Amino acid sequence: SMTTRERIKAIQKMPKTMKEKREIRNGLSELFQSLQLWQKTLKIIGGKFGTSVLSYFVFLTWLLTFNMFSFLVNFSFVTIPQFIAAGSNNLSFTGLELLTGAGYFQQTVLYYGFYTNSTITKIESSTTYDMQLAYIFTIGIYFVICFFSLVYSMAKSFRNNFVNPQTYSGNAGKLLCIWDFNITNDKAVRLKQKNLSTQIKEALSEAKSEDLNLSVKQRMVHIAIHLAAWIFSLGTTAVCCTCVYYLSINNLKLFMKGDGTELENQAATLVLPIVVSLLNLLTPFVFSLLELLEKFQYPRNQIYITITRNVILKMSITGILCYYWLNIVATSGTECWETLVGQDLYRLVVVDFLFCLLGSFFGEFVRRIIGTKCLKNLGVPEFDIARNVLGLIYVQTLTWIGIFFSPLLPAIQMISFFIIFYVKKVSLMMNCQPPRKVWRASQMTTLFIFLLFFPSFTGVLSVVAITIWRLKPSEKCGPFRGLSSIFDAVSGWIAVLTKNPGSAWVVWIYHNLIESVHFFFILTVIVITITYLYWQIIEGRKIMVRLLHEQIINVSLLFGFLLERTSRKRADYLCCVRQGDMLPFWYK
Amino acid sequence: MSYTYCTQARGPVKKSNCTTGFGGSERLFYRYRDLAPQLVPLDYSDKPDVVLPYELISSMPELKDNPFRQRIAEVFSEDGEGNMTLDDFLDMFSVLSEMAPRDLKASYAFKIYDFNNDDYICKSDLEKTVNKLTRNELTPEEVSLVCEKVIEEADLDNDGKLSLEDFQHMIVRAPDFLSTFHIRI
Repeated sequence: SMTTRERIKAIQKMPKTMKEKREIRNGLSELFQSLQLWQKTLKIIGGKFGTSVLSYFVFLTWLLTFNMFSFLVNFSFVTIPQFIAAGSNNLSFTGLELLTGAGYFQQTVLYYGFYTNSTITKIESSTTYDMQLAYIFTIGIYFVICFFSLVYSMAKSFRNNFVNPQTYSGNAGKLLCIWDFNITNDKAVRLKQKNLSTQIKEALSEAKSEDLNLSVKQRMVHIAIHLAAWIFSLGTTAVCCTCVYYLSINNLKLFMKGDGTELENQAATLVLPIVVSLLNLLTPFVFSLLELLEKFQYPRNQIYITITRNVILKMSITGILCYYWLNIVATSGTECWETLVGQDLYRLVVVDFLFCLLGSFFGEFVRRIIGTKCLKNLGVPEFDIARNVLGLIYVQTLTWIGIFFSPLLPAIQMISFFIIFYVKKVSLMMNCQPPRKVWRASQMTTLFIFLLFFPSFTGVLSVVAITIWRLKPSEKCGPFRGLSSIFDAVSGWIAVLTKNPGSAWVVWIYHNLIESVHFFFILTVIVITITYLYWQIIEGRKIMVRLLHEQIINVSLLFGFLLERTSRKRADYLCCVRQGDMLPFWYK
Repeated sequence: MSYTYCTQARGPVKKSNCTTGFGGSERLFYRYRDLAPQLVPLDYSDKPDVVLPYELISSMPELKDNPFRQRIAEVFSEDGEGNMTLDDFLDMFSVLSEMAPRDLKASYAFKIYDFNNDDYICKSDLEKTVNKLTRNELTPEEVSLVCEKVIEEADLDNDGKLSLEDFQHMIVRAPDFLSTFHIRI
């Protein structure tokens, strides 16, 4: 019944030797160790590859815990009750289902369609469990928690890594903060030192050539190249999206017709996810070829541009898929469209996982073989942090969308992240070398958390909101069968509660806060006002910082001046004393 | 991770009971003991006077390849020569842990780079640092040029050398410092 802190204090007070104390605390420290999942692995990676690569793995474990939480919530509040009410599954299991997610899995708790719309009662006259409400509230509350934890981590990250509102000029000062004490491997230390000396040499030569201004013609050529690169990358994205769109419509047609054997049908469903994953895997490589053409003055800009292009690509593909699910599949009149969407998402997640493994194999393993055996000047590949992290963000977006249509998708994702962690670790150790360029790990992590929040999570929220408020759920399957929209489950529940005087406060909250336009209007106005105030405060602080900075310089100048004067006076004084003269008049 | 910060309790204050701290500290004690099991007793209740020589400390896998290992050991050791008592050892890894606050880390990083212990990072200190960072691969002219640039950029009070305040100001603008001035143990 004591808290951990109290227990430690109690142990510390005991007059015992280290050894005895150690035995007492063994239980505690074991728990402590297991909480720091993969601490040792992270230490090894950090020791060999430094903080930059480490940040990918930290991000991966962070997402893993997100999914673990999501799985636990869904499993305990939605799936376990469903097990109690479940009927028997009479479909046969062949094994291909693991890949396609169809067939046998259709009649399991994996998908929306299998969940019951009834209230579950185990014992007569005891309390009942309303599946509809459980489903909608579990997912709703999960998203609310996700929202706040994302905002919290984002804010914290921004606060830590963008403390200074002024933009920082120059990089030389960072030299003293650049050494990565994490690195403990001799080879890695040497490599880091070599990279640092090349960077310093480059920076010095750049500083020399900075004064040479580009001519107008050269500048025009630069702009033309950038423009061409942008047109090319946006064009590629558009082509990819069109391709995905027609393929997905074709996919639906195939499903509706349903001719051919069962096996053929199942295999045909895999075409869409394979093409999507291929596009996601190969187009970034094309984009990185563009980097060779475009020569940026600052390498940092190059990273940001590449990331922007990749994000646009991935988000447009996801957007097209969402359009297909919400506007075409949902209105196609299939028996259970939600399950269909769930299956699509399952396939996308699983195939993306397989392609991630293949990407490690070909992009890193085969590339190393080629680089060390055939084309020696290619060398050992570097671990591409940005591409890998964007892949994680993309697949996490899919999982979030999938939570509604396939409540156990986070479990699949959890397993896949777990495997990816180890595969990437092994591949990294065997095949890669630390990145040569400076990677501002903290700022990049902030950017990635922001990306996870902004196009990804907010996009998912809007998809889920459309599903819940606008779309008509399937007639014959799922917890919301027979309703005209999913949200009707909540309004129906409120209508029942209205009759019960004991729960008047719930009804009040529902009418005055959740359903009320005025409340949201006032809330928005308040939030905007506070934001504006804070923005003004920040502007004020910027001025303050500048003034203080000037003051420091002035004070130091004054200090130097006074120091000089006192020493001169002292010299004068000594001189006077030595010569036996009278002290000058100002020396009183 | 919960390391105990004994650093604040240095000097005239009675040495704190770091050895009986929780979690990390205990692991650290065993790491310390493993360096020389015949010298370090298991029972620390009567505060034995044990000092491990620099050679043993610098042979730890966490330090042995670090170009700044000697400076780290010197800064954290009480005798200034890298020979460490248990408390020195605990201090060292507490400061280098994830949990140590920014200012504490900054002040020790400053000491590490201040090779001649004059409380300022002057140009000769910077040259030593740059040579350690690049394993003497730069020409003396390049090193001197880089050091001038660093001082020019980071020296707020224009005294030609970096004080702790200058250094701290620089750290604030280099957010990676917190995660890179960190040794996992």
